[in-house]
Amino acid sequence: MDLFQRFALGEIDAFETLVRQFQGDVYAWIVRIVRDPGIAEDLTVETLWRIYRARHQFRTDGNFAAWARRIATNLAIDHLRRKRPEQSLLREPAGPLPPDQLLQRETQEKIQQAFRRLPVKLQAAATLALVEERPYDEIADALGTSVGAVKLRVFRAVRILRKQLNRLGVRP
Amino acid sequence: MTEHEMFEHGMTDGLTDEVRQIREALQQSLPPVNTELRRDLWPAVLRKLDARPARVPWYDWALIGLSASVFLFFPQLILVFAYHL
Repeated sequence: MDLFQRFALGEIDAFETLVRQFQGDVYAWIVRIVRDPGIAEDLTVETLWRIYRARHQFRTDGNFAAWARRIATNLAIDHLRRKRPEQSLLREPAGPLPPDQLLQRETQEKIQQAFRRLPVKLQAAATLALVEERPYDEIADALGTSVGAVKLRVFRAVRILRKQLNRLGVRP
Repeated sequence: MTEHEMFEHGMTDGLTDEVRQIREALQQSLPPVNTELRRDLWPAVLRKLDARPARVPWYDWALIGLSASVFLFFPQLILVFAYHL
């Protein structure tokens, strides 16, 4: 009996082996979406727990990594939906900034602000496709949709961002 | 250009200027994240598995409630039920 079959039957040793093998991948995927290491760790634990709870639904001939990524994506998107962070993702400067850097920082904060206002599904697709430059088929698999739908979400995100940035007086 | 045309032209034949500009702006504005996991999460997963026993789903409670009601109003069915056990 192989590892996946033993996991599907609920063997905790098999699950431990899978956790140690895939926890890094699951974490990396989640942190790319939520962009906070602490939250990403918590969500990774939750994802792995849910994977164990849903072990009966796993097709042992299927792709475990892709299945795990899909569960992780749903959790990460739920997190973004529940908690839209208002604080800046940029580090606080140690001292006063010169005018040009101050202007640059303000622009970056406006771009972040506009990005955080995107609908979460568009935000997730845009983060993975544009910021992280992940392959479209991988994103589509994780979002449980088609490559075409992901591309359309990215385009919608770009269109909305462009409008919001114009409104904020920012030209990227 | 409609969204569909943008999709057709932009995403099949390479990035449009608009997408490229927004991508660069986002990459500069969103700080890069370290994707390396800093610690082993297995102990935390194990604690969570131990801490959260499987909950009885709502439909099981509904079935128990329904059975209890049936036996309360038709107690003679307990004998029929016991016979089939």
